[in-house]
Amino acid sequence: MASLDEPGEVREGFLCPLCLKDLQSFYQLQSHYEEEHSGEDRDVRGQIKSLMQKAKKAKNKLLKREGDDRADSGAQGYESFSYGGVDPYMWEPQELGAVRSHLSDFKKHRAARIDHYVVEVNKLIIRLEKLTAFDRMNTESAKIRAIEKSVVPWVNDQDVPFCPDCGNKFSIRNRRHHCRLCGSIMCKKCMELISLPFANKLTSASKDSLSTHTSPSQSPNSVHGSRRGSISSISSVSSVLDEKDDDRIRCCTHCKDTLLKREQQIDEKEHTPTIVRLYEKLRLCMEKVDQKAPEYIKMAASLNAGETTYSLEHASDLRLEVQKVYELIDALSKKILTLGLNQDPPPHPNTLRLQRMIRCSATLFVQEKLLGLMSLPTKEQFEELKKKRKQDLERKRTMERQAALESQRRLEERQSGLVSRATNGEVAPLRRGPGPLRKAEGWLPLSGGQGQSEDPDPLLQQIHNITSFIRQAKAAGRADEVRTLQENLRQLQDEYDQQQTEKAIELSRRQAEEEELQREQLQMLREREWERERVWAAPLHSRTRSLDFQREPGRGLRTHLAHALDLGPSPAQSGTAPKTPSPSPAQAWSGPPALGQEGPPQSTVSQPPLNPFEEEDRPSPPGEGAVSPAAAEAAPLPKEYNPFEEEEEEEPEAGNPFTGPDGLAPNPFEEEEARPCLRPASPPAPGNPFEEPAGTNPFEVDSDSGPEVEERIEEELLLQQIDNIKAYIFDAKQCGRLDEVEVLTENLRELKCTLAKQKGGPD
Amino acid sequence: MNVVFAVKQYVSKMIEDSGPGMKVLLMDKETTGIVSMVYTQSEILQKEVYLFERIDSQNREIMKHLKAICFLRPTKENVDYLIQELRRPKYSIYFIYFSNVISKSDVKSLAEADEQEVVAEVQEFYGDYIAVNPHLFSLNILGCCQGRNWDPAQLSRTTQGLTALLLSLKKCPMIRYQLSSEAAKRLAECVKQVITKEYELFEFRRTEVPPLLLILDRCDDAITPLLNQWTYQAMVHELLGINNNRIDLSRVPGISKDLREVVLSAENDEFYANNMYLNFAEIGSNIKNLMEDFQKKKPKEQQKLESIADMKAFVENYPQFKKMSGTVSKHVTVVGELSRLVSERNLLEVSEVEQELACQNDHSSALQNVKRLLQNPKVTEFDAARLVMLYALHYERHSSNSLPGLIVDLRNKGVSEKYRKLVSAVVEYGGKRVRGSDLFSPKDAVAITKQFLKGLKGVENVYTQHQPFLHETLDHLIKGKLKENLYPYLGPSTLRDRPQDIIVFVIGGATYEEALTVYTLNRTTPGVRIVLGGTTVHNTKR
Repeated sequence: MASLDEPGEVREGFLCPLCLKDLQSFYQLQSHYEEEHSGEDRDVRGQIKSLMQKAKKAKNKLLKREGDDRADSGAQGYESFSYGGVDPYMWEPQELGAVRSHLSDFKKHRAARIDHYVVEVNKLIIRLEKLTAFDRMNTESAKIRAIEKSVVPWVNDQDVPFCPDCGNKFSIRNRRHHCRLCGSIMCKKCMELISLPFANKLTSASKDSLSTHTSPSQSPNSVHGSRRGSISSISSVSSVLDEKDDDRIRCCTHCKDTLLKREQQIDEKEHTPTIVRLYEKLRLCMEKVDQKAPEYIKMAASLNAGETTYSLEHASDLRLEVQKVYELIDALSKKILTLGLNQDPPPHPNTLRLQRMIRCSATLFVQEKLLGLMSLPTKEQFEELKKKRKQDLERKRTMERQAALESQRRLEERQSGLVSRATNGEVAPLRRGPGPLRKAEGWLPLSGGQGQSEDPDPLLQQIHNITSFIRQAKAAGRADEVRTLQENLRQLQDEYDQQQTEKAIELSRRQAEEEELQREQLQMLREREWERERVWAAPLHSRTRSLDFQREPGRGLRTHLAHALDLGPSPAQSGTAPKTPSPSPAQAWSGPPALGQEGPPQSTVSQPPLNPFEEEDRPSPPGEGAVSPAAAEAAPLPKEYNPFEEEEEEEPEAGNPFTGPDGLAPNPFEEEEARPCLRPASPPAPGNPFEEPAGTNPFEVDSDSGPEVEERIEEELLLQQIDNIKAYIFDAKQCGRLDEVEVLTENLRELKCTLAKQKGGPD
Repeated sequence: MNVVFAVKQYVSKMIEDSGPGMKVLLMDKETTGIVSMVYTQSEILQKEVYLFERIDSQNREIMKHLKAICFLRPTKENVDYLIQELRRPKYSIYFIYFSNVISKSDVKSLAEADEQEVVAEVQEFYGDYIAVNPHLFSLNILGCCQGRNWDPAQLSRTTQGLTALLLSLKKCPMIRYQLSSEAAKRLAECVKQVITKEYELFEFRRTEVPPLLLILDRCDDAITPLLNQWTYQAMVHELLGINNNRIDLSRVPGISKDLREVVLSAENDEFYANNMYLNFAEIGSNIKNLMEDFQKKKPKEQQKLESIADMKAFVENYPQFKKMSGTVSKHVTVVGELSRLVSERNLLEVSEVEQELACQNDHSSALQNVKRLLQNPKVTEFDAARLVMLYALHYERHSSNSLPGLIVDLRNKGVSEKYRKLVSAVVEYGGKRVRGSDLFSPKDAVAITKQFLKGLKGVENVYTQHQPFLHETLDHLIKGKLKENLYPYLGPSTLRDRPQDIIVFVIGGATYEEALTVYTLNRTTPGVRIVLGGTTVHNTKR
């Protein structure tokens, strides 16, 4: 249930298109919209409607992912689950159904019965106490008899002609015997005997003093043994009228039964089986985990986000502690599992089942809770993360400001009718794009493996890093890794070269800007380029994006162009706008060398990630006209940060989440300086060679962080991994999944290998 | 009005009340089924319940370190077992819950047996029915009626189940029943009687519109359970049989050992939950997506893990991966088996004719089609008999009825005596004489136009033309148009407003097709909540 509307869940992407408030669900968004913006433009409503439709479609996907998240977090995993087939919101919260208790009735009836029973037992115990209070061994039998008779009045012999238990007639041979506890009569066969230790145990227990003798398991045996012994002795001295039972007290079966039951109760009170003790410990550990794990997860999440609320040392201590508890749980449950397996009479199958179940639940517990523990960043990573976070925050701030202005401007535009309505509908849904992505990206815990040094040029630093990786990989003898790394290196170097060229271009362009005439020529050139671009881009893009998509920016640009031409004095600046959405004309415009370097096909491939940006860009041309030359200067600058950015990403992929926020970033240039260099999230370099290997080569991920992290991974973590894998192997073996076992074993071997290497290897 | 949740809450409450410590759940045959429908083993393990025992099993060991939670139906045998148990307690402490009303005298005899004071709780928790889906429950009673009348034992069990449902949902309803069915009337009276007798229990907070209990009889619509179904849940039930969420796959050729019996539970199987009401074609594509999803995850796993980071990701994802692989193999097996059966039994063709028989009124083409299929060697005797049954039900009074001819055809085909007898039995059970309302021909002008329009539009899907009769009944009920002369109220008071909370109970069993109908109605009509129940959940075999 409830999972749909859990307030804590971050539901990405339900941003209000008007105020950009991030709302948790689209129901909330709807209501938010109705409250806040109901008076506003009609178009917006159409816009939000289409957003709703998209959101609905997206919801399915989201929900699916949410499910995964839930499984990951585990903590609240198993209790809350959406009810199959029914939308939970359709059913109001349901209270517990009707119940009726019969306990008071039950207790009333039981009390009456119990009183009777307890009185009886207590009476017997008191009598037993009296009978054993004196020293039986050294007292005459006559005297004993007198005392016995004084404890309980004996039933008259004449009243009982037959044994009440077996019905045999009493005679000279079949003599009457009196129960010393209740005074009743029975024959010898039906007579029971109570040994003194047994009596002592009962009486002392009732006095609540700890008995000094007999382990519980012994006493019943001793009673039986003595009885058997007494029978044989009786037969040997059968002639004696009243055999003297020095250390035994005669009683009837009924009294004996009651006493035995009583004894059992006492035993249970004293005795706790091993399994209970172990189990209690196990539960204690689990409680500890329940307590500590969320605390740790909170810490780790915060640390991984680069926050400084908690100290890293504290967190790693906690992690160690939690891991210890986990090991303890594992050990305890294993112990429970094997409890009593080697005993001579094998335990009852149910006992074994119980033990198995406890082990099973412990394993489940461990799987759900402890494997979800995320790792902590190392010190260096942490520093890096802190830095990133700072940047991120700043970027976000500018972005928000930007977005606010943006929406305002968009409204104005709409009024002025510059932008056609048809295109408007598209804005909102796509506007969402960056939203979810930005959150999804969320600075992955592993990110930022490198880049800690203060190398002036990130690219150079990258190159430096990769060279060192290659060295390491070679040392580790991983040919394929080396290969990939080398390829990366080559690309990096290419990129660096290109960057240098771009810098040169930039320089020359600045010069160009100084000259009005030149600028006008440039404008012409750009226009021509645009025409060309439209002609070839459309068919090319039809594969990746819908056609009209491509057309829209074009149209937008045309109007924008006209606008820019009207503005006259600074038409070239508006060139920044087309430059970003469609790289190739931009390249052509900024200089032939660039065009030569980044062929058109390449730039088209990288086009899709740019789309959000396009959307951003399109509605805002008027503002652009007023942009100072500084913006134009700024544009290429962030570009050189791109490769670095891509590198830093742990999981660069074709639809890189990171490029999402990037789409927003360009906007700032349009209006102000805003430290473009500090803004790492600049538009992805159109022809960035990195993007391609990133998308196609998963190995890139490793080469980024892999070797280096490898160095830094704590041994302890490795060991833990090995343990985990071992557990899985065991698990898989039990389930009989051989292929899994195989894979796992291989992994294990590799892990061990790494461990050995790390221990032995230098550095 | 979520029956699964209602029962689950009861069970959770029981477990919570017993406090921490190792626990054993002591149940009888029926309550075992009830609990297993709402809790999975791993779920209940997390709550420290480690053993599950039957109260009637003899070789239970003494384990004084366990707490016992007894969830039992208040039958005579169970009380006797419990008395024996309490005389010689095997566990340290007992929490006793009865699934229905227990008599005072039984409580007394239990109390007197508890000499060692091991009982800590005696309560009634009304989870006395099998919660199949959130809006579908069953009592798992087969053959509840003998002829037209109730088997007395089953009548009391049904009454208990139905009252327990009302109590667990905290509803004190008004009752309507199907006039044409004597059984429905009897049941309605019995339920009313219990409500009157236990009026203290039924005192709930009054809602503006009182809930409604509608009692129907299967014989009014004998068609629905005879049709082949194409939605996932219904299809699985029809072709493989679902019994308390369990599917027996042991007859599937070449099945691996751990897939002999699989559990399909919407509670903890996301794929099933999302797809149980989708039709077979959609399932096919969804399962393909599932596979692709799985494949996407898989290669990473099966590849050599290249770095620590990979490995770490693997270890962290492993349990999830394993779970997913379980789900994937389960559904792939089930769907594979379904499609095998479909092609083996020529079900697409059969189903088309079935739908035609059920929904259209063209006698000659229907007869022709049935005859054609009877000649087809691929059609099983079971399906052949089914076709004839449908024919018999629809064209019972048709002027050129050629049922005898078809029965001769059946005999020629080598259909066994058992199935041939079924045909006449079905006609007797659900024939025109018995039906209160007309199943096949539209009743009023509106309905006729509707059908006409439908005919013009063409049918979107020939295999799902048939709408269960229940749909119409409920539709009328929701709109307040259900005729009182056909479905009278029990007692003087009648409902003024449109009903909001509706509980429908079908004597003789509901079907998954009807469950789907109710599900759609629940989704499409805001403010109305419907729960469907039956003495059992049908497929054609039952």
